Amino acid sequence: MQMRTQNNNFISQGLDNWTRGLQATALLLALLLTACGGQEAATTGTATEAATSGSDYPTRPIRVIVPFGPGGLADVTVRIAGEELNKSLGQPVIIENRPGAGGVAATSAMLNADADGYTLIVLTNGTTIAETQFTDLPYDITTDVRPVSALAWFDLVLMTNPESGLTSLQALLDYARSNPNGLRIATINPGSTQQLSAELFKSKAGINATVISYRSTPDVLGALIRKEVDLVIDAYTGLKGAIDGGQALPIAVTGAVRNPAMPDVPTVAEAGVPDYVVTGWNAIYARSGTPDDIVAKLNKALTEVTDLPEIQAMFLELGVEARASTPQEMQERFLADIFKWREVMKNANLAGQ
Amino acid sequence: MDALLNLGMGFQHALTPEALLICLFGVTLGTFVGVLPGIGALTTISLCLPLTFHLDPLLGMIMLAGIFYGGQYGSSITSILLNVAGSAPSAVTCLDGYQMTRQGRAGVALFVTTIASFIGGSFAIVLMIFFAPVLADVAVSFSAADYFSIMLLALVTASTLAVGSPLKGLCMVVLGLILGLVGTDINSGQFRYTFGIATLADGISLVALAMGLFGVGEILTNLVSGVLPQLENTRVTLRSMIPSRLDMKQFWMSCTRGTLLGSFVGMLPGTGPTIASFMAYALEKKIAKDPSRFGHGAIEGVTAPEAANNASVQAAFIPTMTLGIPGDAIMAVMIGGLLIHGITPGPQLINENPELFWGVVASFWIGNIMLLVLNLPLIGVWVKILSIPYKLLFPAVLLLISIGVYSVNNSSFDVLLTFVFGMFGFWFNRHGFPSAPLLLGFVLGPMLEENFRRALLLAEGNLGTFIEHRVSFAFLVITLLVMLAAVMTSKIFAFGNSKMESA
Repeated sequence: MQMRTQNNNFISQGLDNWTRGLQATALLLALLLTACGGQEAATTGTATEAATSGSDYPTRPIRVIVPFGPGGLADVTVRIAGEELNKSLGQPVIIENRPGAGGVAATSAMLNADADGYTLIVLTNGTTIAETQFTDLPYDITTDVRPVSALAWFDLVLMTNPESGLTSLQALLDYARSNPNGLRIATINPGSTQQLSAELFKSKAGINATVISYRSTPDVLGALIRKEVDLVIDAYTGLKGAIDGGQALPIAVTGAVRNPAMPDVPTVAEAGVPDYVVTGWNAIYARSGTPDDIVAKLNKALTEVTDLPEIQAMFLELGVEARASTPQEMQERFLADIFKWREVMKNANLAGQ
Repeated sequence: MDALLNLGMGFQHALTPEALLICLFGVTLGTFVGVLPGIGALTTISLCLPLTFHLDPLLGMIMLAGIFYGGQYGSSITSILLNVAGSAPSAVTCLDGYQMTRQGRAGVALFVTTIASFIGGSFAIVLMIFFAPVLADVAVSFSAADYFSIMLLALVTASTLAVGSPLKGLCMVVLGLILGLVGTDINSGQFRYTFGIATLADGISLVALAMGLFGVGEILTNLVSGVLPQLENTRVTLRSMIPSRLDMKQFWMSCTRGTLLGSFVGMLPGTGPTIASFMAYALEKKIAKDPSRFGHGAIEGVTAPEAANNASVQAAFIPTMTLGIPGDAIMAVMIGGLLIHGITPGPQLINENPELFWGVVASFWIGNIMLLVLNLPLIGVWVKILSIPYKLLFPAVLLLISIGVYSVNNSSFDVLLTFVFGMFGFWFNRHGFPSAPLLLGFVLGPMLEENFRRALLLAEGNLGTFIEHRVSFAFLVITLLVMLAAVMTSKIFAFGNSKMESA
């Protein structure tokens, strides 16, 4: 009997997904038509609706643009939160992936929509790096968008090959100082939080190290497995399997406090490199000019969603912390991170373009 | 024996009504989007990924995997019938597949493609069942230096992809390498040849390039030349599908080589089916007794690449499922599908989620058999496409290409780029410049450079690293032999010619 109920659930859920899938497809087609048919037509067409006040918001589906492909950390966290937002706001939340070009494609798409709270975007600490990396962006990210709330916070993990004998941060630092060629650190592509965190680690620890770029987290893991590099700095999410499976040994985390998923692993600061802290984040932003009451309503909804125990648990499973913020807190954090990474890039001689 | 017991358990999970249904859905959708030019497995899987979030993880994986390998079956159909690549890996199938269609052998071409795809896929599945952990370890042990030498060999053989003038082929390889430079340099983070266009920071889209050269370009050529590919007799009888005895002999050998090559390339993280199919084609031509048959409807030019790309997509699951290291971009998206269920692929996956691992493997068999059953009777239906008047067909194909290219990155710039490449493709066609070497140069160039520089970074600038790594050394020797052979044969050829003239 129990089996049967499960099956029924599965089917009804499946149907539910189907409708959602269809909606997404319809949206995709509509977007295609607007993109090909001219963006002015689309903007003027919906301009009249923009004037509606926030009191009955939302009355139609909300679109959230993710500047990454599906399946990544940002995408997965927003999708999980989107489901709950759907329940609390009573309107579907549609995730739209616009990967690439340091978020330029995604941000441009978002800025083409109206400032009515129906088109939102996910920005990350990567956005604050892109601000320095890309010198001629077609927009000013510090004034063209306004923060709604933070969604997820995460640290990075410093990992070694368990067979290397570098089982603590101190052992790693000793090795780096005694080895004439220094340390070899693998991270994903230049301009990533991971790479700049490695550069920051190098300068704060005062060690000689070469930071080698790879295309993806699995490539970085491969390099660690074949002992091509001594250290890997990357997010917990993508390497959880490797840590559990004994391919990678976590020796420190970059956050200000320990990671609840690995309470035995010290922070970098605790383990011997003081004032080294890197915390990444995902946050929801709206276009500048979006009415205050709409932003407040969204912020309240997001705060409730991130406080839900099941969301807390699901995020923890991914190695991230679900935590909302006020728009003001987010704004301060955003500007502080732009400054922080600009300094790191300057010191590491990583030019902006 | 353990493997067989486990496989039995896998079948228990993969033979439930839901699993069978979802597998059928996956492979059918895969075949369908494979046939549509431009819309490939990556786009479809990305679109379907959210659907899996509420499914059982096993069912979700079965569906996504079905789309993935189903797409490889479907994409060759458009290549063979219309000379329009169904997806990038099948672009090379256009070369001989379309010629077979023009000779009235479309039925044979589609038949051998389906069988070759099945054999390629099945072989890689057998590898996965019995040797997955060992093979994955070997694949991951390949260092940057090894990758460089493997890619170098592939590049050297690339020029043989040319039909006609080898010099023009070489020009196109170089042009492909140059196009591959566009984008962010992985080592320094600098932008190269982006001309201030932000979208180009990620490089030129492979789909846009392939669809431009092997889709739009072909359509323009047909329209301008006025010789529209209209076939009189589009009735495909069972008899017309059956290959001749000579065909079968060539089929088995090329299929075996394609399968082995595809399995090898597929296992290497970071490669993908495009490299597998192009290398398989180059290999066939290189070792053929009479290479001049290629480009004029040689059956090996169809079977080897198709066996290779199917073997490659199936083999890509080996490092993904056993080490959590995805073989290509599509695998990475699928891992995302597991992440949301709290499952991270890694070495512990086989032990902690055996029903997932073996269930997926078992579903591969089921899916491949479904594809075989699905595709053979459909050949007659597909060939009917040729009876659609070209004036109706070409706008439809152009529309599908535009939608397909757009859907990869949601980028209208890519659509524009496709049409620009289409015009280039047209010009290349008119002046006898082959597009296939360009595409391979484009795919290999960035990997070659990236691994070369990474290898040197790791070796502190010591060039000896390419000889010290055993795999790298072996491939360098093979590359050298291939080059020597090319020089020798061309000399003998020239000598023979002069003798004939003097005689």
